[in-house]
Amino acid sequence: MLRRVLLVAGREARADRRQADGLVAAITFMAVLVLLLSLVVGPHVARERGVAPALFWVALLFAAVITAQRSFERELADDALDGVLALPGGRDALYAGKLLAIAGSLAAVALIGGLLQLVFLDLDVALPGHLAIAAALGVAALPPIVVLDVVLTLRLRARAALVPILALPVLLPQLVAGTNAVTAAIAGDEPTAVAWSLLILAFGVIYTVLGLTIVPTAIE
Amino acid sequence: MESTVASARSFAAPDAQPLAALREATVILDDRAVLRRIDLELAAGITVLRGPNGSGKTTALRALAGLVPLARGSRDVPPDVLYLGHRPQLLHGLTARENLRFFRDFRGGGGREARIAAALDRWGLHADADRPVERMSAGQRRRAALARLDTEPCTVVLLDEPFAELDVAAAELLLHALREAPPTAAILVATHGHAEIDALAARLFEVGDGKVTPARQRP
Amino acid sequence: MTTTIFPRILTVRIQPALAVASIVGALVATAMALLWAPPDANQGEVQRIMYVHVPSAWLAYLAFVVVFLASVGWLWSRRPVFDAVAVASAEIGVLFTGLALVSGSIWAKPTWGVWWTWEPRLITTAVMFVMYVGYLLLRSLSTDMDRRATRAAVVGIVAVLNVPIVHLSVTWMNALHQLPTVLRAGGAPAIDERMLATLIVGVVAFTLLYAWMLLARVSIERQRQERVMREQA
Repeated sequence: MLRRVLLVAGREARADRRQADGLVAAITFMAVLVLLLSLVVGPHVARERGVAPALFWVALLFAAVITAQRSFERELADDALDGVLALPGGRDALYAGKLLAIAGSLAAVALIGGLLQLVFLDLDVALPGHLAIAAALGVAALPPIVVLDVVLTLRLRARAALVPILALPVLLPQLVAGTNAVTAAIAGDEPTAVAWSLLILAFGVIYTVLGLTIVPTAIE
Repeated sequence: MESTVASARSFAAPDAQPLAALREATVILDDRAVLRRIDLELAAGITVLRGPNGSGKTTALRALAGLVPLARGSRDVPPDVLYLGHRPQLLHGLTARENLRFFRDFRGGGGREARIAAALDRWGLHADADRPVERMSAGQRRRAALARLDTEPCTVVLLDEPFAELDVAAAELLLHALREAPPTAAILVATHGHAEIDALAARLFEVGDGKVTPARQRP
Repeated sequence: MTTTIFPRILTVRIQPALAVASIVGALVATAMALLWAPPDANQGEVQRIMYVHVPSAWLAYLAFVVVFLASVGWLWSRRPVFDAVAVASAEIGVLFTGLALVSGSIWAKPTWGVWWTWEPRLITTAVMFVMYVGYLLLRSLSTDMDRRATRAAVVGIVAVLNVPIVHLSVTWMNALHQLPTVLRAGGAPAIDERMLATLIVGVVAFTLLYAWMLLARVSIERQRQERVMREQA
């Protein structure tokens, strides 16, 4: 099973390398938002406690939606999806493999977006290790729901509107936890950062297990 | 209701075990019954499913491949099925070789790279095997998809309009591949009429109006 | 088909009985709420909106738990009756979530001085509303019955598990930031007995109403499903 999941993730990563438009779109989106924020509200407001982390997580969520939608568009282009679903164990491997691959892309987006924020807003991070861990957990916690929603709206015309409507309320806890964890890490409040990071981890585990249980049957 | 059950059972040799079957299967798509209570058993050899566009051939194949749920009835198909739809199912961004390798590895086919190279050669893709598939022509992609017949030997093979987009040479290659296929494999070919494949078929069914009826059997 | 046709006894006998019971219940609850229960010592007459607000919120939660159970039932057994129950309950749930939000807002303006406040229960209810509107949207945009039921069931399961998670995270955030919450000030420990009785009657009346609406909506959905099935036979 793990071998098959890795094969799907590897196939995705390889295709992403040759057709980087989805990843480039997500990174551009992230970078533009980060830069726009300080231009629109001014560097003083942008540096206020919690503002930059909140923007970071909201932007990352939309980057995840862009990446996942692009990934499934490619699957539909030549009915490649059917080819995988018809393989023995293909359904389960497809969902899990997509989670891995999209988490990988998001890690790149998060890294670039985060670095841009650090540089342009001149943020002093008190606990860089905690910040990195919180960000990594968040990157892993977003795809289960985002991929689920993209799968559920596959081949529907209104999917561009439906995915955010379905994903935002479910991911609100992750966004809240991520924002608070990163804010605490920047401010140097270690217990708070750890507590929120554990919460992201818990949410991530719940939704991953739930997704792996019920989503594969719904892929069509 | 009048029973319109068509079965291959009466045509196959008495001891021929079906390798795959749909029984009493109904498939509903968009609130419309595309197939109604069909029975379709596949024994070893070539079976042809013939019918006009929109008759339900594709749905029957997809039901066998497990890609559409049955509203009623049952599906009994072994895990090693090769389903080639009317589009080539190759992931854009990968080359033909990488696509074939992915499918083979997924089935746990082992690491014989030479077999993939031979298959690509045989289907005339020697020069284009390492180009991303989205830059290949429709016919070339079709050939690459058919090369999976060589790299993924399966008990049950489902081919949906395999002659579409093929030039004369490629059609010859396909007919040759079907003739050479191991006699233990059950091969189902859906077409809207193709004389050469009809001649190869052990069993022939007509699909129309949501039903599947036997047309003839070769002695 | 193994369609255990929606038991006739439910539509023929129980549904009219529920209709009568919920109308009587509604009349009794209205009379108690407007005439019998005393006005609130601090808030005065406006507090009577509680007798609509609390039962609506209760129904919202009840309805979504039923959606969850029906969704699990569909994924487990693929019997269309479960999908019919899920859609019926979701529609009623969205209606009463909306009613709870609106009645709460009307109540909040004279008592707290604002239409809306970022308090955990309010945020959770609003998030729940958006989720189930999304659920109904997804249903209305899918044409294929089986696909619609399966996709909706996934959302029905995720959404209900999400409710406590949203509540927890928002509560935590507020606790840590120590936002001044208006609600905590008015945590009246002792409620007048007549108020309590009225509230309980209200909850019972609303629950009867839910059962009636659910049954009526499910039987409509079953007829629709059977018509589709007949057309294919």
